[in-house]
Amino acid sequence: MGCSSSLPARNSGQIGSLSTEGSSVSDSKNLRVKLVLLGDSGVGKSCIVLRFVRGQFDPTSKVTVGASFLSQTVALQDSTTVKFEIWDTAGQERYAALAPLYYRGAAVAVVVYDITSPESFSKAQYWIKELQKHGSPDIVLALVGNKADLHENRSVPSQDAIDYAEKNGMFFIETSAKTADNINQLFEEIAKRLPRPTFHFLTVKPRNLSMSYIELSYTLLWLPTM
Amino acid sequence: MDAGGGGNTDVFGSSTAPLTWHDFLDRMRHPSAADFVKSIKSFIVSFSNRAPDPEKDSASVQEFLLNMEGAFKVHMLWAGSSEEELESAGEGLEKYIMTKLFNRAFASLPEDVKHDEELYEKISLLQQFVTPENLDIKPNFRNETSWLLAQKELQKINMYKAPRDKLVCILNCCKVINNLLINASIALKDNPPGADDFLPVLIYVTLKANPPQLYSNLLYIERYRRRSRLVSESAYFFTNIVSAESFIWNITAESLSMDEMEFQRKMDSARAYLLGQSTDIENLKDQANESIPDHKTQASEVQRSVGSYMQKNVYNVPPTPIVKAPSLSDLENKGASEILKDDQPIKYFQEYPFLFAQPGDLTVDDVENLLNCYKQLVFKYISLSKGMGIPIASPAASGTQSQSKADTDKESEGVIEEETSAEKV
Repeated sequence: MGCSSSLPARNSGQIGSLSTEGSSVSDSKNLRVKLVLLGDSGVGKSCIVLRFVRGQFDPTSKVTVGASFLSQTVALQDSTTVKFEIWDTAGQERYAALAPLYYRGAAVAVVVYDITSPESFSKAQYWIKELQKHGSPDIVLALVGNKADLHENRSVPSQDAIDYAEKNGMFFIETSAKTADNINQLFEEIAKRLPRPTFHFLTVKPRNLSMSYIELSYTLLWLPTM
Repeated sequence: MDAGGGGNTDVFGSSTAPLTWHDFLDRMRHPSAADFVKSIKSFIVSFSNRAPDPEKDSASVQEFLLNMEGAFKVHMLWAGSSEEELESAGEGLEKYIMTKLFNRAFASLPEDVKHDEELYEKISLLQQFVTPENLDIKPNFRNETSWLLAQKELQKINMYKAPRDKLVCILNCCKVINNLLINASIALKDNPPGADDFLPVLIYVTLKANPPQLYSNLLYIERYRRRSRLVSESAYFFTNIVSAESFIWNITAESLSMDEMEFQRKMDSARAYLLGQSTDIENLKDQANESIPDHKTQASEVQRSVGSYMQKNVYNVPPTPIVKAPSLSDLENKGASEILKDDQPIKYFQEYPFLFAQPGDLTVDDVENLLNCYKQLVFKYISLSKGMGIPIASPAASGTQSQSKADTDKESEGVIEEETSAEKV
């Protein structure tokens, strides 16, 4: 299947146009955030998530949940909490065309590659282009080079990834799900970069408000940034 | 592991159906709920009288549910109720109106019906030759017999009318797959299973299960399941089955890593195989005379669908001589979904006097009568199975099947009774 040839159509007759209602809202103190994981199969997407959620890597330990969907709440220093709902995607080439069904409405996309595999790095760049074209415009993007513990087999220089991330205005970090290096930092940094609705009404559409609020919301829009 | 009994038990932690349902109906019988009953009825009537327009229909159901839930919140009937109780009331309302509107809202457009038929035909062919390798299922997870349980959960989808109950069938199917993947990965000391492992298995299970009207079921859930309840884990697994459907619908030689010629050859021999099968059914049917009208319809449908495939092809492969009829569970599912579409499903069950009896209703005198009914039923079932050339399921398996079917029948009957009494209010 070509990567862009059979993208599911976006007309309303197709399934999969799930509304984004509830995907990244709550109140200003407690955010609920949809995070989608993209990357080649075998780069360790599910290991990163399990490390983050359960703080473990040992594959022989008793895992009682699947790692395809997990959620985890992070408390930040400013006493806000962010609940990540983490959607894993199948990384095999034949399933590439299905990805838009998963990243639709996501507030965060984490694109993972394996630092020992140049192919997985090119695949990551492919996903980033896709997300810039079809993802929501204010999506927070993170590029993650996993398996940093295997540095003796490294074939993607850190500098290449740093340059690429900088050029695309995204956050970059190298992690090791095996040693837990940088796993928590990854999610904390994402949480910090999330757009915070300081004024609740700014994200609300006029038709969802009763009349008395409409004037207020437009007034606030004209205020200088606070 | 069998999480989907008659009441369709919820394994995903939201409010459970039977309790919710009866609580909702009880509250609607209260005199102070008269206005609610009136709005519900008038919504159902005006909806039923409009021509189908899925986008509008979905929006109007979503809006109605939202408004009613808002009204419940401030009504004395729910004074002092917890969030959970209000959520239950919302669930009850959704189930009530969608059960009432099912015939009008489900598969309401000819193009959706056509999509369903084409998808069903395509899967009937693909399921004969697609292997776990074609879908990138890792060798460790290629234990085909384990997936039967997951298939059974998915096949229950047409036994229910409410969007939530249909969704639960999908979630239960995913849960079974997840459990099996986790057990296999622990046993083999492999990495924990993620989406790379899960999605291919779900696609494989969907191919093997081939539930009729899959596309319409997914559209129906998406349109009529209250949006605020199709979030988080439910939304994730729902997206997976939508992906599976989309992948299957668009399957080509390339997406299965097959050579184009080989793919065509396999599709052709699958067609020939199905044609051989339906010819056999036709023959059997002639021998078995008029006593099995349902199966006759099934056979001629297979014949028609295969016929349309054959016409599309210039060269035909001679039918294979292998005899294989649709499985009993296929027939059962098809029958169950037809019963559900009927306005008065009860009429099919009138000749079975004990079907809706409670243990307390029975007297010792009934034992003989009951035993006779049982013998007749077994005799009918065995003869029909033989007549169709279908291998007869083991007593244990058929026991559970008839049990869960009886539960479903009881439930559909219950819904009707409840509805009548709710209308009386």
